[in-house]
Amino acid sequence: MERTEIKETMKKIKDNFFVKSTFILGLVAFLSALALSHIKKITYPNILKQAEEKKRKALSLVLPGYKIVKEKNFKMNNRSFSFWEGKKNFNGAKTKGYAYVTSKSGYSGEIESMIGFDEQGKILGIYILQQSETPGLGARCLEVANDDLFWLSLFRKSKKKSSFKTPWFQEQYQGLNLNKKISILQKGDWKPSLKNELFSNNAITAITGATITSKAVTESLQKTFAFLKKEFNLVIPKEDSE
Amino acid sequence: MNYLKEFYKGLWEKNPILVLSLGLCPTLAVTTSVTNALWMCLASSFVLVCSNLLVSLTKKYIPSHVRIPIFITIIASFVTIVELTLKAFQPGVYNSLGIFIPLIVVNCIILGRAEEFASKNNLISSILDGLGMGIGFGLTLTVLAFFREILGANKLFGLTFIPGMKPAMVMILAPGAFFTLGLMLWGMNYLKSRKKEGDF
Repeated sequence: MERTEIKETMKKIKDNFFVKSTFILGLVAFLSALALSHIKKITYPNILKQAEEKKRKALSLVLPGYKIVKEKNFKMNNRSFSFWEGKKNFNGAKTKGYAYVTSKSGYSGEIESMIGFDEQGKILGIYILQQSETPGLGARCLEVANDDLFWLSLFRKSKKKSSFKTPWFQEQYQGLNLNKKISILQKGDWKPSLKNELFSNNAITAITGATITSKAVTESLQKTFAFLKKEFNLVIPKEDSE
Repeated sequence: MNYLKEFYKGLWEKNPILVLSLGLCPTLAVTTSVTNALWMCLASSFVLVCSNLLVSLTKKYIPSHVRIPIFITIIASFVTIVELTLKAFQPGVYNSLGIFIPLIVVNCIILGRAEEFASKNNLISSILDGLGMGIGFGLTLTVLAFFREILGANKLFGLTFIPGMKPAMVMILAPGAFFTLGLMLWGMNYLKSRKKEGDF
C-alpha cells in the first residue's frame, strides 16, 4: 500500500519536474530566437549593402575604367560563379576586359577571389571577396602595406596617410601574365623594392607563414582561367604578335 | 569596497588566463596583432557582462539540471548579436577576427563565470565580475599581442616598429604564442609566490 503511494507521488513529481524544465528551456530558446530575429532584421539591410558595395568595389578595381556589358554564369565543381565582360575605349580602339569569380579551399575554408584581365591575358587586378584564413597569417591577404613608423605616428599629430591603398598581396598580381604560369616565391613580405624582380619572373611573393593561402589563390585563378578559355572560346592573347 | 573587489579580482588575483587558465584557445589564436586583441577584448567583455547580467537576473527561475543548456543559449544569443553587429558596421574587424567571433560561445571563461559566479551572486557583483574578468582577459591578450606583434612582425598597430629589423617569424606562428604565454604564466606564478613568502 504505502509503497505504491510513494511511487505515485514520485511519478507525479518527476512528471512535473520534466514539464517545468522543458518549458523553461523552451522559453529561453524562444526568447533568444525572438531577440535574434529582431537584431537580424536591423542589421540585415546593412550586411546586404556591405556585400553589394564590396562586389561593386571589387569590379571597379579589377576592371578599372571598363563598362560591364555582359554578365554570365558558369559552373565549375558543382558551384556557380559569375563571369563579366567589359568594354573600354582605349586610344580610339575598343578593348575588351574580362572578370570572373572563383574559389578554392585555403588553409581553413574557401577563399573566394575575383580577377580582371585584358585581351592579352594581362592581369588588371585581383580582389579577395571572402576568406576565413588564420588571423595574422593567411588573413593578411587583406592587409594593406604600411611603411609608416609607429614612433612617427605617435608624435606627429596630423596623420599622414600611407601611400598604399590596396592590399599588397592583391596588388602584386597586377600586370602579371595569366597565360604563363604564375610562380610563388618566398621572398618574405612584399616591399616596393621587390616589384621588378617579381615582375620579371611572373611571380608573386607568398605571405610569410601562409604559403598555402597564396598558393590557393594563385592556383584557383589559373585553373579557372584555363577552364574559361574552353568554356567561352576566349582567344587570349588576341593576336599572335603579342 | 566589496563590489570593487569583485571587479579587481579579474584583473590580477583571479586573472582568467594567467591564474584560472581558461579561454586559452582565443588567447593563442587572435594575439597576432594588438588591434585584434583589443577587438576581441571588447567583444568578449560585452558578452561576458551581458550573460552575467541575464544569468544573475534569472537564476531563481532556472532549474539546476538544465542550467548549462540555458546558459549556453544565453551566451550564444549575445555572441550572435556581436557577430551580426560587427558584420554590419565593422566588416573589416569581422574579417580579421574571422572564426574567433562565433567561437566566443565556447570560450570557457564566459560559461565558467556564469556557472561559478553569476548564478550564485547578485546583479551588481555579477556585472562587476563580468567586467573585471573581461578586462583582465583583454589586458592579458593585449600584452601577449604586444610582444608577439613587435617580435614576430616588427609592427605595432600595423605600423613599422623598428625600420630595417627582420622579424622573428616564429613569434607570429603558434609556437611563439606558446612561448610568450608560458613566460607570462611563469612571471605571474613567480610574482604570486614571492608575495606569499613575504607574508610569512
